[in-house]
Amino acid sequence: MLKRMEPKRSWSSIVGGAALVLLSAGAASAEGKGPGFDDPNNWPQYHRSPNAWRFSPLDQINKDNVKKLHISWIHQPGVITHGLQATPIVIDGVMYTIAADNNVFALDAATGAVIWRYTAKLDPIVKQVFYQSASRGVTVGRGKVFIGSLDGRFIALDQKTGKELWSTQLTNMKNEYGALFSSPPQLAGDILFGGTTGGDQPIIGKIFAVNADTGERAWTFDIPKDDPKSWPGDSRNVGGGSAWLPGTYDPSTDTIYIGTSNAAPDFNREGREGDNLYTATVLALEPKTGKIKWHRQEVPNDTWDFDSAYEALLVPDGKGSQSLVHLNKNGFVYVMNKDNGDIKNVWQYTENMNWAKGVDPKTGIPIEPNFPETDKTKLHCPNLLGARSWNHGSYNPGTKLWYSHGMEVCNHVTSAKQEKPAGVGSLSLGLADIKLTDPPGKKADGWLAAFDPLTGKESWKVRFDMPPLSSVLSTAGGLVFTGDMYGNLYAYDADNGKELWKFNAGSGARGGPVSYAVNGKQYIAIPTGLGSHAPGFLSGAFPKIKDLPGGAALLVFTVD
Amino acid sequence: MNRQGLRFALICMMTSVFLDHSAFADDAGAITAPFDLSDPARIETGKKRFGANCAAYCHGSEGEGGKTPSFKGNTHFTPADAHKTITEGRTGSDVMPPWGETFTPEQIWELVAYLNYLSKQPASH
Repeated sequence: MLKRMEPKRSWSSIVGGAALVLLSAGAASAEGKGPGFDDPNNWPQYHRSPNAWRFSPLDQINKDNVKKLHISWIHQPGVITHGLQATPIVIDGVMYTIAADNNVFALDAATGAVIWRYTAKLDPIVKQVFYQSASRGVTVGRGKVFIGSLDGRFIALDQKTGKELWSTQLTNMKNEYGALFSSPPQLAGDILFGGTTGGDQPIIGKIFAVNADTGERAWTFDIPKDDPKSWPGDSRNVGGGSAWLPGTYDPSTDTIYIGTSNAAPDFNREGREGDNLYTATVLALEPKTGKIKWHRQEVPNDTWDFDSAYEALLVPDGKGSQSLVHLNKNGFVYVMNKDNGDIKNVWQYTENMNWAKGVDPKTGIPIEPNFPETDKTKLHCPNLLGARSWNHGSYNPGTKLWYSHGMEVCNHVTSAKQEKPAGVGSLSLGLADIKLTDPPGKKADGWLAAFDPLTGKESWKVRFDMPPLSSVLSTAGGLVFTGDMYGNLYAYDADNGKELWKFNAGSGARGGPVSYAVNGKQYIAIPTGLGSHAPGFLSGAFPKIKDLPGGAALLVFTVD
Repeated sequence: MNRQGLRFALICMMTSVFLDHSAFADDAGAITAPFDLSDPARIETGKKRFGANCAAYCHGSEGEGGKTPSFKGNTHFTPADAHKTITEGRTGSDVMPPWGETFTPEQIWELVAYLNYLSKQPASH
């Protein structure tokens, strides 16, 4: 029987100072109730909480003892293609995670012992497609473990046994250029929803929803809007879109937030000169029907592969309500009213940005965007991977800071008219050539920074010679965990960015670190094993990436 | 025979059927290109195909990106091996999908012609 972990020490004893006393009670305090603090021993969903904070209220591991952090156990799935990209789920002492090629594991979260393993029997076509092997996680709820499969299905497993309960085919892999699920579908009550890869494919990208208990289809949302003004001619039919990262579900308003991907062809807009709704858009949807509550398109007529796919962070606005804070690959953070999408502020995230003169902080509209043009080569910043890759940030309600990575990398893009993609593994990029490169007059690099998410005021920034691709974890122990492409894992002081702990994992970090407790003991779990397509892109700017090894090992740390 | 081996065998059989206009076997049995790999027109065609399908998301401009060794200045480059890899794909810590069902053997040889050209250029790094 698990018991709730009582913090051995309070924040006030760590940092001192009357101003911080309010923070000291951690999960037990009145200020510490509600989303972000509930269920402190577990990591029950992709971002831990519906507000996408990736914050653990546990503080047994803290600034004073983090140097004593040591390996507790290691799980090696035995498959390493594209590394480990998942964020593990932990519920009541059991960890649920996924490795390459849809290999799902239930592990004893205190020992790493395998409780069950499920390997999906995948359609052989998966070996033909571009986005192969990788998954970002599983979803657990209603007595089931859900995955989105690499052959275009939602699958439900029995949480206790790993036995397959139902499987629903949602995409046509052959006709839709291998549109598949690289992210776990999410729960909104009894609705299970999620989108596919598809922003780079000549299809009508979709968000799918099924009944979570039966797998029966509930609704389907076509992301390219059926509107000839938005999509001239036949452009909608090959317009891409989709939603390739997990959305979130806010039960307090019964709202799904999910961001969509870019329009296709990615870098050529000939024939699609419209705003291309609902690509590059944050959607607020009704879970029961899939109908739009509101939408906010961040990149009209996206021709830079910017998308709007990243997490919808809900943070206190200081006025008793919450704001939706949304990072776009285009280098800007959009602060919105979470109930209607109205713009409250827009602030610049990256140091190097030239695709537009800016974004109007009152309207959210790009100012004089510089579009790629057919047969011309242009330098655009940020690059196609974005101001940050999809590796998620973390918000700590104690410091009121948002910890997130960034990359200062640009790309030379030579736009080209898109011919009909040749085969199931082909993409619709509208490119003749692309090269990732340094910003003008600078050396490309990456960073971890702590921002006020509402204003963009920077509290601290740590620089890396190459952009880290790990998601970030923050804890009530005053710590920020992440890892870099070399495989160095770090814990930083949440207040000032001082490095407090470092561990060499041997292969880079690309997944989601989490924290949880079993039998009163706190653990930090960090997936390692460099993967995804991002390192390959980045090697144009960082040739040393070619020499970095792959791998797949889930490392779990604790203190005695 | 595993699935990949079977696929390769089938591809080899198909290749032999269409040998007259897709490839030749030299005296040592290695598959060779059905045209002169130094033909500028073939190199240019391969370059365009590479740019749209290979450079953009994996191998980078002029094949210098990705997790694979650069093609430029690569003294180990072997056309027959390159043709085989493009046709069948490769899986390890990274993955390259097979292109044998997307492009004809001749189109793949045009890609090889461009890579062969790159291998004779000086390395940038």
